Amino acid sequence: MNKAISTRLAFAVAILSLLIFIILWQVIAQQGLLVKNFPGSFKTIGSLIWWVSDPFFDNGPNDLGIGTNLLISLRRVLIGYSLAVLVAVPLGVLMGMSKLAQSSLNPYVQLLKPVSPLAWLPVGLFVFRNSEITGIFVIFITSIWPTLINTAFGVASINPDYLRVSKSLGASKSTTIRRVILPAIMPNILAGMRISMGTAWLVIVAAEMLLGTGIGYFIWNEWNNLSLENIFVAIIIIGFTGFILDQFFGFLQDKFDYSI
Amino acid sequence: MNKKSSKKSSSNENYSHLELFNLGKIFFKEKKFIDFRSKGNRSGFEAIKDINLKIEKNTFVSIIGPSGCGKSTLLNLIAGLQAPTSGKIVIDGQAIKGPGPDRGVIFQNYALMPWLTTIQNIEFALNTVFPAKTKADVKERARKYLRMVGLEKASNKFPKELSGGMKQRVAIARALSINPNMLLMDEPFGALDALTRSYLQDELLSIWRRNKVTVVLITHSIEEALLLSDKIVLMSSGPSAIISEEISVDLERPRDREKIEQDPKYLKIKMRLEKHLLRETRAVEEVT
Ligand SMILES: Nc1ncnc2c1ncn2[C@@H]1O[C@H](COP(=O)(O)OP(=O)(O)OP(=O)(O)O)[C@@H](O)[C@H]1O
Ligand SMILES: [Mg+2]
Repeated sequence: MNKAISTRLAFAVAILSLLIFIILWQVIAQQGLLVKNFPGSFKTIGSLIWWVSDPFFDNGPNDLGIGTNLLISLRRVLIGYSLAVLVAVPLGVLMGMSKLAQSSLNPYVQLLKPVSPLAWLPVGLFVFRNSEITGIFVIFITSIWPTLINTAFGVASINPDYLRVSKSLGASKSTTIRRVILPAIMPNILAGMRISMGTAWLVIVAAEMLLGTGIGYFIWNEWNNLSLENIFVAIIIIGFTGFILDQFFGFLQDKFDYSI
Repeated sequence: MNKKSSKKSSSNENYSHLELFNLGKIFFKEKKFIDFRSKGNRSGFEAIKDINLKIEKNTFVSIIGPSGCGKSTLLNLIAGLQAPTSGKIVIDGQAIKGPGPDRGVIFQNYALMPWLTTIQNIEFALNTVFPAKTKADVKERARKYLRMVGLEKASNKFPKELSGGMKQRVAIARALSINPNMLLMDEPFGALDALTRSYLQDELLSIWRRNKVTVVLITHSIEEALLLSDKIVLMSSGPSAIISEEISVDLERPRDREKIEQDPKYLKIKMRLEKHLLRETRAVEEVT
């Protein structure tokens, strides 16, 4: 089997299916088969090109370029997410290593993990009286659980041979954590971070509808403008950004894949 | 912290290098991760009991016993990785309190760190045991031991790029690099093909001769034990396994693989070992 030909074929099939999708969408919209005034693919693509060709303008909070809004969302996500990772990894290691920490923290984790992070939004607004910090706070809460749980699980299920080697050499606890446990659980940490990032990117859009500015607010604003094609533009850009973020973690995971 | 015990052998020793007194180990059930319901059950499983054994300096001792009888448990106790439930372990007249670099351990499945290269695996051991050594010193010493097991060329390879025999050689190099008085090996050659196994057995013997270490080797193989050891310790089937016999192997060294099998002394001990293992294994099969 020739690999070059098969990838080329796959690429051609992908292009073809995209074309069919665009044409079907256009036809259905034009004929009003779904609802009246549903934007067609041509109009949406036109909008997409318009937004992307000048992404960074700023005419006040209700009229920002899509790139500007995207950067606002990304900044909130990156700050909240990074803080969450900084808390989740040490806490996860602690929970994985200590029975006491495990049994005292686990009930809170189990109870809070299933709650939609958006429930924390009013709490954040009340406490911080600031929509920017509230957004970061919500992302922080969102991101913490998957990384925390994966890290703790990684530590608890670490190959006991590594710990035995370390112990038999008389390694101190801190050496064991830094030189053995952390590298050993890198795959678990990264898996958790990948899920955390995916969820954070889902939640930021919803949170921003209530916060003002950001790509989520852009959607809400275009809904008020009844401009569905712009919402589709935002959906495409959110999806593409999420895809890139996820691929980045996929790349990292491959780097830290120790398996044979 | 465990200080490395001095290697010099004092003249007025009235104790053996390693002594086990009434050693016993009971495993108690532990609570699992994320598990509210299971109540800790205090009734335990007695793996080994009343183990008494003396091992002299620089001798080669093998421990043989039926599968699951508690050989690894015994080795872990000597290594200080687990605490005995009863009895004590005395090395050079001193009761041990935990693991220490005076004992190099080679585990059943190599236990190399997969995120470190071959040489880094050895450097990790060296850095841990000799924190004062300079980087260059550590590297030089790691190289030396890799050379000793013939793996200089593989120093920058990761464990997953090595064959089983190569991994075991790295594990041996790692254990020896910290210059232990005692080498504790848990079925080190069990997973290897016959050719690699005999090659590494010869390697181990020459390392043992050159380095002046006491070796405690756990094995399933009667031939291996006979070829390598000064003394063979037989364990009974578990639970509550005991030492049922100690046999000294007074065959001349160096022992030649082919010739030794004609030696009537060899055959006599071999028969005795086979009988014992068969009896104990049958006991296991009938219990389970
Ligand atoms: N951490 C543990 N908790 C509970 N039981 C254990 C534990 N470790 C070992 N055992 C039990 O103790 C017994 C002896 O185990 P051990 O691993 O020492 O046997 P072994 O002789 O090394 O076996 P093998 O020849 O298969 O390597 C077994 O029945 C095992 O199930
Ligand atoms: Mg074993």
